[in-house]
Amino acid sequence: MASIACFVEKYNFTDPKEALALENFKIAAEKMDCKFNFMFRENLLEIPKYDAVFIRATTDPLFTAYIVSKTAWEMGLKVVDDPKSIQICGNKIHLYALFKKYNVPHIPTIFINKDELHHKRILDIFKTFGRPVVVKAPYTSFSKYVEKVACETSFRDVAKRFFRKSDVLVVQKFMPTAFDWRVGVLNGEVLYVCKYMVPKGRWKHGAKRRGKPSFVWGRTISLKRENAPVKLKETALKACEVVGRGLYGVDIKEINGDYIVVEVNDNPSIYAGYEDLRDKDLYSKIIAYLVD
Amino acid sequence: MTDAIPCIQSSGVTLVLVVSNIDLTTDLPIMNPSTFLESSIKDFTLNINNDYRYLKTGYYVSLHAEILGNPVIPSSENIIDAYRIPILLLRASKAGIPTMPYLVTGSVKQIISEFDFPVVVFAVNPFSYEGYKIAKNRSALYRAVKSLGMNYKFTVCAQPLKGEMLSFNSIFGKCELEGNAREISEKIYGLLKIPICKLHVQRIGEKVYLCGLQPLKKEELFPSGLKMISEGILQISKNGENLIG
Repeated sequence: MASIACFVEKYNFTDPKEALALENFKIAAEKMDCKFNFMFRENLLEIPKYDAVFIRATTDPLFTAYIVSKTAWEMGLKVVDDPKSIQICGNKIHLYALFKKYNVPHIPTIFINKDELHHKRILDIFKTFGRPVVVKAPYTSFSKYVEKVACETSFRDVAKRFFRKSDVLVVQKFMPTAFDWRVGVLNGEVLYVCKYMVPKGRWKHGAKRRGKPSFVWGRTISLKRENAPVKLKETALKACEVVGRGLYGVDIKEINGDYIVVEVNDNPSIYAGYEDLRDKDLYSKIIAYLVD
Repeated sequence: MTDAIPCIQSSGVTLVLVVSNIDLTTDLPIMNPSTFLESSIKDFTLNINNDYRYLKTGYYVSLHAEILGNPVIPSSENIIDAYRIPILLLRASKAGIPTMPYLVTGSVKQIISEFDFPVVVFAVNPFSYEGYKIAKNRSALYRAVKSLGMNYKFTVCAQPLKGEMLSFNSIFGKCELEGNAREISEKIYGLLKIPICKLHVQRIGEKVYLCGLQPLKKEELFPSGLKMISEGILQISKNGENLIG
């Protein structure tokens, strides 16, 4: 009987929809005669006891999740997300550099380093991309550390804040749409498809409430993977090819019939009633991949 | 940019592009990191930096070289792993380098249940320049875990302290210590190819065990260290890509 450790942190259980999705993974595993245990940061010594590790805690090369992933990988366990995927998807500089190299259609993007934060360069950027532009910290996730700026002062303010952690930043053309496609991909196959709607008056799926620490999220509309546009799915698979063969959530904008990749996320959100609404088999497919 | 590409030609075989943020006391041609990050030069790249931490320029230089398809010392993967102490110890142990037992956790109680005092505590986040803290009792351990875990956001890596801690600069695997410490320095360089770093080891009797690795501050690089860097660059220019493991 194969045994799977699901690495989680306490916050993974705060949203009932995410907690239910985690329970669904456990049920799917047990139906397939697999052991499925939740592993917290206090239980990392137990990694060698398992055959596979499934990471649901937020991943980043700086977080404990990377330690778990790399440890499991070095010990020869099957692991989702694998350390290479975390390294690439956890840093948007890395990701967009690969998109450029392998001609994945993506939002027009440039990188700037600290030495380039001067008047002429900022004006050049506005001239190239128009106003506003989007400034992204490489470690962005859940729509955080992504800001829209329309003047040099705002540009400098945001860039200085993001430069505290990273010496290189991403700057992109502002391309607003009513929703982003989210395509879930596992091992080079489409797993689920949904639309992440942008809340009214906002420009991101998740937007911070003015003056409050909390976020407002747009609706999620799911559709059966068979019914999603073929070109959308092809674009998503092409984007994942440059990252790896794991589990990814690809964000894609549809503009005038073209599909443009926003980013590939490792460790994509899976909430019961959202991503799984039309393709309930995603749980068993992920478990099967882990124990294959 | 392409007017004068600073490369070292050796034996007519290998071109070495040296990218450095350190002013070296040598006539060697050096490209600064900002210039390299905007270039598309395809050559074996030697990334010389006092600080290779993730998200810092030293990391991006290696990443850029890899995207260009260049063989590079050090690799971005090794950079991430070297500064994450548990991964460093795991990979070192697999390579036969003596290491201390360790525990990754955010729980003081768990550390106490596994190890007797005193305990050495390392941060498991690459933002810390602090090195390590030694906790001789429970309250000191609470303080260390809170401080190095950045208020419990990150886990820490705890190891038992059975002997004496030593810290020393390692430059291309060379160091000013003799014996087992020098051997560990050479082996770690052979494994991860981090040209410049500070190593933390524990000496117990005659034996030396690896405990951690951290970046150097520029002011910690003395003339002898700068000379070792220049020698290391020359050595690599002679052997070229063969030195990439």
